[in-house]
Amino acid sequence: MDSNLGKRQHAFCNLMLSALMSASLVSVAADENTTSPAQEKKPAAKPVETAPPAQTRRPREKSFPTIASGEWTGPKLSDGQPDVSGFWSNTIGNHGNLTDPQGGVIGEARRTPLGPREQRAPSRVSDPTDGQFPFQPWALAKVKEFQVGFHNPTYPGHVEPNARCAPGGVPKSLYWHGYDILQYPGYVVFVFDNGSRIIHLDESKPHLPEKLKLWNGDSRGHWEGNTLVVDVSNHNGKALFGRSGEFISENATIKEKYIFANDGSRYNYVGTFTDPTVYTRPFTITIPAIKYTRAEETDGWNLEARWAKHAGKTQILEHDERICHENNGGFGIGSAQR
Amino acid sequence: MNTAAIKNPSWFKKIGLTLLLLTHVFAFSLVTSNADAHDATKIPRLANGKPDFSGIWQTTSAADYDLEPHSNRKDAPPGPGIVEGGEIPYLPKALEQRKKNFENRATDDPALKGFTLGVPRGIYYPEPFQIFQRARDLNIVHQFGHSVRTIHTNNTEHPEDPNDWWLGDSRGKWEGDTLVVDVKHFNDKTWLDRSGNFHSDALQVVERWKFLDPNTIEYKATLTDAQVFSKPWNISVILHRHREKNFQLIEDYRYTLDYDQYYPPKPDKK
Repeated sequence: MDSNLGKRQHAFCNLMLSALMSASLVSVAADENTTSPAQEKKPAAKPVETAPPAQTRRPREKSFPTIASGEWTGPKLSDGQPDVSGFWSNTIGNHGNLTDPQGGVIGEARRTPLGPREQRAPSRVSDPTDGQFPFQPWALAKVKEFQVGFHNPTYPGHVEPNARCAPGGVPKSLYWHGYDILQYPGYVVFVFDNGSRIIHLDESKPHLPEKLKLWNGDSRGHWEGNTLVVDVSNHNGKALFGRSGEFISENATIKEKYIFANDGSRYNYVGTFTDPTVYTRPFTITIPAIKYTRAEETDGWNLEARWAKHAGKTQILEHDERICHENNGGFGIGSAQR
Repeated sequence: MNTAAIKNPSWFKKIGLTLLLLTHVFAFSLVTSNADAHDATKIPRLANGKPDFSGIWQTTSAADYDLEPHSNRKDAPPGPGIVEGGEIPYLPKALEQRKKNFENRATDDPALKGFTLGVPRGIYYPEPFQIFQRARDLNIVHQFGHSVRTIHTNNTEHPEDPNDWWLGDSRGKWEGDTLVVDVKHFNDKTWLDRSGNFHSDALQVVERWKFLDPNTIEYKATLTDAQVFSKPWNISVILHRHREKNFQLIEDYRYTLDYDQYYPPKPDKK
């Protein structure tokens, strides 16, 4: 199955596109919390050569612990950074719905009715406390338009950029596929399936000129005990937050805290977004994540890694190259031009 | 030996002084003539003593325009090429394909679609790349496409059930201060330059990375591909460290440019 890692990723990209094109498939993909990886792979454009054994994902969390910012007592790297390197993924849901992460994509038919709201994970919006994005009226209208257009696109902007393998941007990359955190003196590097993000720990380095706008923005950060504090500017706002269509403009600034538990097993992302172009006030998004350390947990979404081949006795987890755009199937404008 | 020298202390002193001077001159000549060796001791190193290639690097060569010697043309500056011996030893059929690629280079170069450049093209493509290095691996982030290549240096081997990868599978070993990387399991979708030099999925690349001084890397590679080339061939480029103040990579996901304009939503014009 390991040889199919790249193909599976390919297959999933195609699935994303197929799902957008087909209402019946959308309803299958809708309930992401009960959809098995096998079901998701079913409509793949290219058959997987050797069927991977059915893997069970870790169950999605309906709630998650608060992690207090404070001292770091876990292992440190030689440059003093808390050692949090490894494979990580979010715990409560994917990119289908921001304010009701386990409630399915807005506007989709469900196979099973949703139970009471309090039985599902909370909104990713942790402030305001009502869990809603504080949109200006024009922006809310655009989000509602996207939520309709997403199922039957009549305008290129109704297509989720991620379906074209565009980078997930901030913060969506953190609740997309699993990702790798790499650490080096002066840097924390995130490697996502769609793109990568370099956080500079040297805050004397100025941000890029304002005119430069980037999918993943320009990041400066530092460690405060167990917390990586990051300042993001130069974000282009193009990535959208998910299939529910929320977004920021290119004028947004983001203050992030990645608060790591001292046993190194999980962290909470707490990001405060300030964007007077789109919102009436700043808001905060919280994303819980856990670390994956075993190749056996490879599940086609949160982890796609294998044990390295070597003569030694310790097990070493490694990940194939992360490629999306190049392997992506044709869709919409992109396919017409290809 | 003239015994007078021993009997005459002043003469002895003179000889001693001369010897001292000679020693100084000799020591000085060592410093000047062995400047390279002197610099070699100062190359950056990891805690484990291996050379530390961390930094942002770029070639100034015109290699990506055409690996082979070429006169100027409308879409390329002139260049002597970087192929040892001048020409790539194509098999006859492959040479025909290479000619077709050259004719269609304005549309068929995969880089025009923002595709991952592959190995070794990403190294001499004229955009910077950053090496992040630790004992177990080097991660290379290419500004172009922002693709990430991992070179494993932890004694792991090529996987038993490989895929065909855009960047191949890279396993490195240290030979003294030279990093030797064996790269294979490629797909056949990348080109070697924008003039249409190409390879098949049987490509194998053996790279040799070595510091010439703390700010310069000599990069050599041997390319083997029995489906396309009649014999292995070698290339060599120099990589320079970016030392501009606050220099950094700037993500270049140019494959998004065709649809950039549709995001994010904007207020309707009144």
